[in-house]
Amino acid sequence: MTELRRCDVLVIGSGPAGQKAAIQAVKAGRTVVLIEHERAVGGACVHRGTIPSKTLRESAAQATRLARDAAIWGVSPRAGIEVSSLMARLDQVVSAHAHYMGRQIDRNGIERHHGRARFVSPETVEMTTVAGERSLFTADVIVVATGSRPRNPPEIPIDHENVLDSDSILSMLYLPASLTVLGGGVIASEYASIFAALGVKVTMIDRADRPLKFMDGELVAKFVEAFQRAGGTYIGEQTLGGVAFDGVSKVLTTLSDGRVVESDKMLVALGRAANVDELNLGAAGLAANARGLLAVDEHCRTANPRVYAVGDVVGPPSLAATAMEQGRRAARHALGLGEGAGTETIPIGIYTIPEMASVGLSEDEAKKRAGAALVGRARFDEVARGQISGITDGLLKLVADGTGRKLLGVHIVGEGATELVHVGQMALLGQMSVDAFVENIFNFPTLAEAYRVAALDIVAKRPA
Amino acid sequence: MSTQEPAPLTGPGSQEAFSPATPGPEPGEREILRRRVADRLGTGTIALPLLPQVASQVLALTSQPKVDALQLSNLIHRDPALAGQVLRIANSPAYMPSMPIVSLQQAVARLGMETVTEIVLAASLQSGTFKVPGYEGALKRLWRHGLASGLFAKEIARLLRSNVESAFLCGLLHAVGKPALLQVVADAQRDRTREQAGRGAVTDEVLRELLAEFHTGVGLRIATSWALPQAVVNAIAFHAAFETASANRREAAVACLADLFACELDEPQPSFEADIRRQPVVAELNLYPDDIAQLLAKRPAVARTVESMTL
Repeated sequence: MTELRRCDVLVIGSGPAGQKAAIQAVKAGRTVVLIEHERAVGGACVHRGTIPSKTLRESAAQATRLARDAAIWGVSPRAGIEVSSLMARLDQVVSAHAHYMGRQIDRNGIERHHGRARFVSPETVEMTTVAGERSLFTADVIVVATGSRPRNPPEIPIDHENVLDSDSILSMLYLPASLTVLGGGVIASEYASIFAALGVKVTMIDRADRPLKFMDGELVAKFVEAFQRAGGTYIGEQTLGGVAFDGVSKVLTTLSDGRVVESDKMLVALGRAANVDELNLGAAGLAANARGLLAVDEHCRTANPRVYAVGDVVGPPSLAATAMEQGRRAARHALGLGEGAGTETIPIGIYTIPEMASVGLSEDEAKKRAGAALVGRARFDEVARGQISGITDGLLKLVADGTGRKLLGVHIVGEGATELVHVGQMALLGQMSVDAFVENIFNFPTLAEAYRVAALDIVAKRPA
Repeated sequence: MSTQEPAPLTGPGSQEAFSPATPGPEPGEREILRRRVADRLGTGTIALPLLPQVASQVLALTSQPKVDALQLSNLIHRDPALAGQVLRIANSPAYMPSMPIVSLQQAVARLGMETVTEIVLAASLQSGTFKVPGYEGALKRLWRHGLASGLFAKEIARLLRSNVESAFLCGLLHAVGKPALLQVVADAQRDRTREQAGRGAVTDEVLRELLAEFHTGVGLRIATSWALPQAVVNAIAFHAAFETASANRREAAVACLADLFACELDEPQPSFEADIRRQPVVAELNLYPDDIAQLLAKRPAVARTVESMTL
């Protein structure tokens, strides 16, 4: 008979959310067991998502810079690049990151197991190893952080050969001449811009009139402009008539208006599906909702008060940074430690080429909430550092209330946006006035100077 | 394969007769033959032998009024050596591809069916002389094994949500050195036999030893000369020791597991289903019992495909 092992907190999944939940619990003096389905810790973020795609992005951004400066150095970018050569550093980066995370887990005294977990009762979880051995665990608190995988709509024949998803595209051997990207979300936009920067003829297809509908329209317009300059095409307001491989060399995508788009390969990026299938949720008194996600309250607690769910398994925003915070807060709530004040100032970073980042309210949201809004803009080509670094297609927007004094939001497109946004985040957290950007000194020349330029723009627009 | 002790699974053709049943060389002779093979590998170009029927089949196919590009691609796929030759030639300066051509589908798409047909014929004619008298059966088994490995690698990759196209190439070519080595061994043996007035034919055991010792090196030389993608090069180099791969470890592991499944297809083993689950490569690829069950269920389909594609 299998022995039942007891611990205070059982965490299923070692991605950003699970890891933070486990560390928070162990730091509170609890015994913690962590079960990870994969061999290495880190989840999809490290092995199939964030880290690998950003490594590829870095290579694409370098290729873009090289192409821009080719004349200066008297070189021309090599044609026919292997994807693996673009990902040359990936194994190193992934292994270093996974190793670091593993060490952090071990150093904190978290008991780590490799296996698949499934509920066998509301408080008991069975783990099966790769070799088929089974163990039982029970805990006062169970945190589900099993993440997500690419969603494969049944009507699209994903074969990982011609029609790929965001997992299999990373192991493509060579760059195709053309690529159709289905979807207009973060993953679709990131890969579309990366492959366009690498010289692939990319066509993005989505239902929406523009990609990234949740982002500031002006930023997205800049992104689309850069994407089209790189040879990309965005086809919006279309539904799919069908996707088929022609049996020889082309993927044919039929659109609702009758057009047929031909490409060498297709990337399907139509959202992600939560990894709940193997959990046997029914045994825990739970069920996935209509969207296949685990429903939780504001404390990330499920309908079973012992079970919490964090990260991609609970749905949007599906950002690693948010997942970490969910993990930390869930563990604190479960252990009665108090979660601290929640924050609305969670930044969004999108690693397209160029990058986009956002924190706080958009112009529309500000108008809805505050009745009026003033917006200050700074184009990167107005900033010395932008000219020096050749980053001239960037834009920074500050959103203030109707008086032009209270800062409500920061939105940036351009290289460095995902770093630059944190200056605005700190200003929002500190409830600083727009004038703080005018009255204080930034290093010169830096892109941070754009804050000052945008703030001055707001000052100039203030009602008399 | 790994530092752990896996259950013994036999290698390709290990129980089969590779060569005519003749008295084997004496221990001293074995070393002399081994050195001869090593010397031959140290100099000269290695050409892959081709199954000559492919050339005639390509001719027959292309003489039809309506030739389907997919049919041509499938025909070339039947023969890993020919597929490799086509890729090598398609990537040569003569055709100046704008980017490396790594699949037949890509070759047909980029170069057009007619050009690929020309390449196939050229490759067949150039390599048609590389027959290995007395080793036809062994050669055929090696090709079947390569094909089965490629097909199993596709299934494994699909299960892992990894790229199927690259996995097929890694599986297909992971032991590409072996058929080339057969020719080298036969040549060395022929010279030695001449010197020794007919003594010392190569036994299965010696042949297996020589193939095992030299095939990776030969395979890597072929991969380098064909400018194969790094993932395929690393699958050839590390499929038998994936844990030592500094890059493309997953591709090497996929080729390793595909090789084991293909071996079982060559020589069914009663305890395979239990043994395979204990292989370190299964843990490496994070394949749970139900994943392995899915792969095991693919065996009849793979066997049928291999059968239909074997000339």
